[in-house]
Amino acid sequence: MSAAANRKPFDAGRAAYLALNLLLVAFLLAPIAIVVVFALNPTPYISFPPVGVSLRWFQKFFAGSDFMNALFLSLWVAACVLVLSVVIGGACALALARGRLPGRMFLTAFFMSPLMLPAILTGLALFQSYLLAGIGRPVWGLIMAHTLVAVPYVLRTTLAVLHNFDHRIEEAAAVLGASPTRVFFEVTLPLIQPGIFAGGVFAFIVSFDQFPVSLFLVMPKNETLPVVLFNYMKFDLDGAIAAASMVSILLALSVVLALERLIGLKAYVKL
Amino acid sequence: MISRRSMLRTGAGLAAAATVGAPAILHAQTKTLKITTWGGKWGDIMKATVLPAFEKEFKCTVSADQAFPFMPKLQASAKNDPLYDVFHTNSNEQWSALTEGLVMDKFTTKEVPNVADVYSWSVSDKIVGVAIFTSAIGLGYRTDKGLTPPKSWKDLADPKLAGARGGYIIPVNSLGQCHLMMLGKVYGKGLQDLDTAYKALEQLKPIKLVDFTGQMEKMLLSGEVSEGVIHDSGVYRYDGQNQPVEFASPSEGVMALEQVLNVPPGSKVKELAFAYIDYMLRPEVQKLLAEGVWYSPANKKVKLDAKYDAKLLTTPEKVATLIQPDWKWYNARKDDIDARVTKILKS
Repeated sequence: MSAAANRKPFDAGRAAYLALNLLLVAFLLAPIAIVVVFALNPTPYISFPPVGVSLRWFQKFFAGSDFMNALFLSLWVAACVLVLSVVIGGACALALARGRLPGRMFLTAFFMSPLMLPAILTGLALFQSYLLAGIGRPVWGLIMAHTLVAVPYVLRTTLAVLHNFDHRIEEAAAVLGASPTRVFFEVTLPLIQPGIFAGGVFAFIVSFDQFPVSLFLVMPKNETLPVVLFNYMKFDLDGAIAAASMVSILLALSVVLALERLIGLKAYVKL
Repeated sequence: MISRRSMLRTGAGLAAAATVGAPAILHAQTKTLKITTWGGKWGDIMKATVLPAFEKEFKCTVSADQAFPFMPKLQASAKNDPLYDVFHTNSNEQWSALTEGLVMDKFTTKEVPNVADVYSWSVSDKIVGVAIFTSAIGLGYRTDKGLTPPKSWKDLADPKLAGARGGYIIPVNSLGQCHLMMLGKVYGKGLQDLDTAYKALEQLKPIKLVDFTGQMEKMLLSGEVSEGVIHDSGVYRYDGQNQPVEFASPSEGVMALEQVLNVPPGSKVKELAFAYIDYMLRPEVQKLLAEGVWYSPANKKVKLDAKYDAKLLTTPEKVATLIQPDWKWYNARKDDIDARVTKILKS
């Protein structure tokens, strides 16, 4: 057959579909591109086209003790939140999906409710509760608050996995003599692991980027990175903010890639 | 701008002064003083020099909260056990706090002895608590755009500045609120002539609006805005950095942006809170901060270096150009004003 015969006719619908997708990708990536330009531009304000390439804002960010303390606190809090939300969210999901609990729908809505409330109100309410209880604003209080808003992500992704879960596999293991504990760790957990870990990734990122809940709960000298950046921006709106944003994006990406290497996100894609 | 070396030197001086002058009762105790304070260069100087020297002198710990918003946190805490012992904000918020019974009204010289040495604007009837510094709100402009340096607030309405003039989102920024009141003064019967101010605001469109003064600084530096409402310290802080920006004090007067300290009545360490405010009014502390961030000091006895003295409000004549808004009056009608200006500016 000739080359002309092999050539497919122009498909306007497909072209429009591709154009729309390209527009969406550009829309999603444009803010990141602006951040990159701002972070590498040596001028102390956003200017386009950039006048050069410089790492001065990254140096300022990494040399600033306030930034570094906040970065490490944010990482520490996010790591704790990841563990807690995976344990609590995973257990809740199992109980809700398997436990034949009375009021299951209500409980599901109850656990998901932190997502429905404006986070700033959650932060304010917890702040008042902590003060009334006389516990002040300890770091563990901040971790609990972040966990509260992160648990629904783990709950939802784990419930999604459990929705298509084949119980006969667990029954087969039990029939073959495995104890309930062994069934859980060797059959159930590996099968729901993609959902739990995907929720854990969300939990980490939600905590690491959390601003409205943290706003009321951070203590002086114990401020998370988003709070420090917000306050910094009020007085010094320079490229250090963009450098910090770049670092945050890269850290979040690192977590996702690390989990991809550990458990494989392809499993999550099947959801 | 103050150098690191001079900051350390002054810090050493402050620390040396720690050996004298502190009330014996305070020396005998270790307490925690919870304060609010700004970030940026101000926060750097406070953390590096001012607060350590205070802690050493008064044998206490200062817990300085730089995370906004301060007012809702104070409101949410119990009045008999407030979250802060010293509340540092601008004047508009102090008036809101007073209305809710969250802060004291005035201080006596017995409580804060250095109040005896302050300019009248620092303790005027427009101030709740005591103002320790002020900035002058006027007009910042680019010197490389062929503009005539502004002499009047009316110059901001020059048609040549359409789309290149800068203002603030009035409901959330006190500079924007001051500007609105000033429009009532320069075009109408006075600061409280809101109807005239609304009409004048309408005439300023198109205007670029920002939330924070830091954003206005950057818009002026980048040339996105050629002229805009800003406080003098927001321009003077770039002194010596070869930036084409300058500050102009309009002939009708500059508005005051005061840094006010106050004490919640329920503070458990009220004596220490008074001592802190007194300390912040000491000439050496005032000089350090004034030269560090280009704020005009409240204490009349402060002698600034010539560079700062030339630009800041340090003489009775210069202080006379300062106009203090009536925030009690403004706050009482803020909701109506917010609704009206939002309607004007969103179109």
